[in-house]
Amino acid sequence: MEGGIRAWGGLLAEGAPEAGMAYFPDTAGPKEMIGLAWILEEGSRRFYSELAGILKDEEGIAIFHDLTAAEEQHKTSLMDLLQDISGEETAEDIPGSLAGPDEIGDVMEGGMRVSQALRWTEGKPLERILEFAISLESNAYDLYIKMGRRVRDEKSKKVFAMLGEEEKRHLGKLASLLERKL
Amino acid sequence: MGILNYFKPVSVMTAEEVREFLKKRNPGEYNLVDVRQPAEYEKEHIPGSQLIPLGELRERINEIDPSKPTIAY
Repeated sequence: MEGGIRAWGGLLAEGAPEAGMAYFPDTAGPKEMIGLAWILEEGSRRFYSELAGILKDEEGIAIFHDLTAAEEQHKTSLMDLLQDISGEETAEDIPGSLAGPDEIGDVMEGGMRVSQALRWTEGKPLERILEFAISLESNAYDLYIKMGRRVRDEKSKKVFAMLGEEEKRHLGKLASLLERKL
Repeated sequence: MGILNYFKPVSVMTAEEVREFLKKRNPGEYNLVDVRQPAEYEKEHIPGSQLIPLGELRERINEIDPSKPTIAY
C-alpha cells in the first residue's frame, strides 16, 4: 500500500522511493547476475556511507558504518566469484557492460536511485530511515535468493546463499535498532 | 541496456483504494499483512491485519494464503 500506515491514517505520504522487483531475462547468465549484484552493492555502500556521515544518532552512525563495510566486503566476494567463473574479469569491466555511466554508484537495491533516496532522508527521523533501510535489505535478501535459484554451479550457489544470509542478518540488526528507537 | 531495465515496478494501491477493496470483501477473502516491526504494529495497525515482520517473511510465508489477493504495508 502506497504511503503505508501513515497514508492510511490520513497523513500525507511523503513517498520514500519505491523499490522495483528485480527480474532477469531468460538469457541472463551468472556473469550478468554477479555484475548486477556488484553494482547494486556499490550503490548501497555509497548510500550507507553517506548516511553515516549525515546522522547525529550514535547508534545510527554505527550501524550504517557497519553496513558500509559489509557492502564493501560483498563487492569483494562477488568480484572473487566473477574472477573464478570468467578467469579474467575486473571491476572495470562490469559497469560498462551492464549500466549507464550515471548509474554506477547511484543505483542500489530495488533499482532505487541513491541521490533520490538521500534527498528523501533529509530531515527524516532515524526511525523512518531505519524502516527504509529495512526495505533495502529485504530487497537484497530477495535478490540473492532468486540468484541462488537461477545459477547452476555449486560455487555460485554457495556465494549467493552466504550473501543472502548476511543480508538477512543486516535486516535483523536494523529491525532490532528500530525496535529500540520506537 | 541500463541497470534499471532489470527492475519491474511493483503494483501499489493507494490507501483509498485499499479502503474500498476491504469494504467490498469479507476478511476471509484476502491477506492483509503488516510487515513492520511488532512495536509499530502494537502502536497502530489496520484492523484485521496480520503481523509478519519483513525479516520473518520467508520462514512464515505459509501463513499467507496464495490463492487470495495479498495487500502488504
